[in-house]
Amino acid sequence: MKPETLQELRTQNLITPEQFQKIDTVQTKKIFSVFYELRIILYLGIVLFSTGIGWLIYKNIGQLGHYASLGLLIITTFGCFYYSFKKGPPYSRGSVKSPTVYFDYVVLLGCLLFVSVLGYAQFLFHFLDESIQEVTLLTAVIFFATAYRFDHVGVLSLAVTAFAAFWGIRISPQQWSSSEIFSQPNLKIAAIVLGFIVSIVALILDRRKIKPHFTVTYINFCCLIFFTGCLDGVFDSSTSGLYILLTGMGCAGAVYFAFLNKSFLFLLYAFIFGYIVATYLLVKLGINEPVLWFLYLMSSCAGFVWFIIRFKNFFKRN
Amino acid sequence: MKPVYNLDSLTNLHLVKEAIQWHKQGRISREQLDQIRQAYPSSFYHPNFFIRILLFAATCIALSGLVGLLALFFAQADRMTVSALCIIYGVISWVVVEKVFAEKNKHYKSGVNEALLYHSVGFIVGGVAGLTGADIYAVLISLVIVLSFAAFRFIDLVSTLVALCSIAAFIFYSFYRLGGGFQQVIPLVMIVCFSGVYFVIRKARASENKTWDNCLVIAEAFCLLVVYASGNYLVVRELSVALLNLNITGGQDIPLAWLFYFLTVAVPGAYLYFGIKKKDIVLIRVSLVAIAFAVFTFKYYFSLGHHEITLTVAGMCLIGIAAWLFHFLKTQKNGYTAENVLSESWGNVNLAAYVISQTMGGNKEPEQPTQTGGTFGGGGSTEGF
Repeated sequence: MKPETLQELRTQNLITPEQFQKIDTVQTKKIFSVFYELRIILYLGIVLFSTGIGWLIYKNIGQLGHYASLGLLIITTFGCFYYSFKKGPPYSRGSVKSPTVYFDYVVLLGCLLFVSVLGYAQFLFHFLDESIQEVTLLTAVIFFATAYRFDHVGVLSLAVTAFAAFWGIRISPQQWSSSEIFSQPNLKIAAIVLGFIVSIVALILDRRKIKPHFTVTYINFCCLIFFTGCLDGVFDSSTSGLYILLTGMGCAGAVYFAFLNKSFLFLLYAFIFGYIVATYLLVKLGINEPVLWFLYLMSSCAGFVWFIIRFKNFFKRN
Repeated sequence: MKPVYNLDSLTNLHLVKEAIQWHKQGRISREQLDQIRQAYPSSFYHPNFFIRILLFAATCIALSGLVGLLALFFAQADRMTVSALCIIYGVISWVVVEKVFAEKNKHYKSGVNEALLYHSVGFIVGGVAGLTGADIYAVLISLVIVLSFAAFRFIDLVSTLVALCSIAAFIFYSFYRLGGGFQQVIPLVMIVCFSGVYFVIRKARASENKTWDNCLVIAEAFCLLVVYASGNYLVVRELSVALLNLNITGGQDIPLAWLFYFLTVAVPGAYLYFGIKKKDIVLIRVSLVAIAFAVFTFKYYFSLGHHEITLTVAGMCLIGIAAWLFHFLKTQKNGYTAENVLSESWGNVNLAAYVISQTMGGNKEPEQPTQTGGTFGGGGSTEGF
């Protein structure tokens, strides 16, 4: 923005003199923020540190002594949570501003170290062999509690992934691309049910105004889980009709949520998964004429583009 | 050269975008934002980010259908005819995106624009490649020309970046083909050329006209990165081995090794120093990347093999530095602050959350053969187990 433009806003009385003062100091770099840079450094530091410390303990297990290292981990975890509870603002249903810039990262570090403690204890005592599922659930519950208590979206997504893992579903791009998202073949039903139920719960929480800014994160994971389950069903099952129907319903839900929340990522999901299934249906019909296929691609997508532009006012955020 | 877009609308759009950021920061009220919106109207069709991706994807699929149909018609033609037709088709689609979408329907970076534009560039350059028998000079030169034109007319960031890459590739390839001593000076030539380009761009950015500001920022960052990479010991050494068939045995080293060692360390330091001194965010950000890569370079050749200690110590250092700076900059020092004074549009909470859940290994499971379904939401430290 040109410097004169801000002056212009002032002379037209669109902003007050104080606002002009404040924004002008930023524009002219009299105040210069390195907020994002510092956050990235801090984040990288935590990633490196938590990876390194785990590796270090693992390599030096003989010398350090198991109990000493486990004790150290527990103390650090405890320290992180102690700090969080001491410094953290009281619980609120809305979004909470963190008391210090690095508060969020301490909470995150505490959660990650907690998992390390569990993993290390399992390595030492093998006490979880029988109850690995329950421990995953416990992790999820603790993460959920932490996320809600300290208003932390990052921990929330860790919680959702852990919760999905409890049902045997692993969410990550790598697994997604190698279609190993489900560790067992019959998990698609679990995925669909899980996606559905969690999204309903998330919407109820949203209605009750309990952390409404978490809803998008929930629905995002739900969409991915739900649609992957559906596609899995459409492609390799004898009852693909049912799954096609489910995908359609899912798309309708995603479109509804996109408009409700004005977050159009979900429109994108609905389009992609809907289009895949529609195209799959046409393949099933056995059309072999390339001209028809090209016409289908062209007309369907051009029509879709036209639709979005024609009704552009529906897709406005503000 | 002028962009295809109406300049007044463009300025207004950017002003309103900035005002939205002020509003998100709580610096101006909702009413003020609405008043600014009314005072600075823009008639562009400029949808939000996801709609743009959606439109881009849909347009690409639609175009692939169209191209497929056309290909069926001309399937029997010989190569020259097809290449010429590609160029004609590319030019026609360029005219369509300019006249129909940008001018008549006032699309501004709508996703449709980009899809049509890239597909047009692709066909023109592909046609040139076909006509010249994929001559690498012809392809690179046509890429630079067409993409620069696209970058100017459509203020397009991707075109800017790819055009610059083509220029770099052109310089590299020209010297590479000459062989012998010319190959040895490629790093120095790249450093000189792109430093020159960098200063020209800086000057252009400082001028009154802010129309292409974003393109210039991208170009600046690219130049800085190329300058650093050309002087980096690791890059020079590995590329020399791979492309110039350089054999490095035992006690030998690449020619001018001392210079490249020096540049590996000095350039990031200089970037950081001047970045902080001039309060130049592009320099500061690039310097952070360069510092990380410099550390990596030295670790790569002089590692003692204790990666776990390196990681832990590096992590502790970074946490320490960040915590200290946060503390130090709590009150302003020379105009620097750790406060988030104006949010940027990409500082998105949900994106950050996604990155955390993916990089922190929230879904890795410890390698346990006995285990069937469940996983830990394992932290990074479970990797060693």
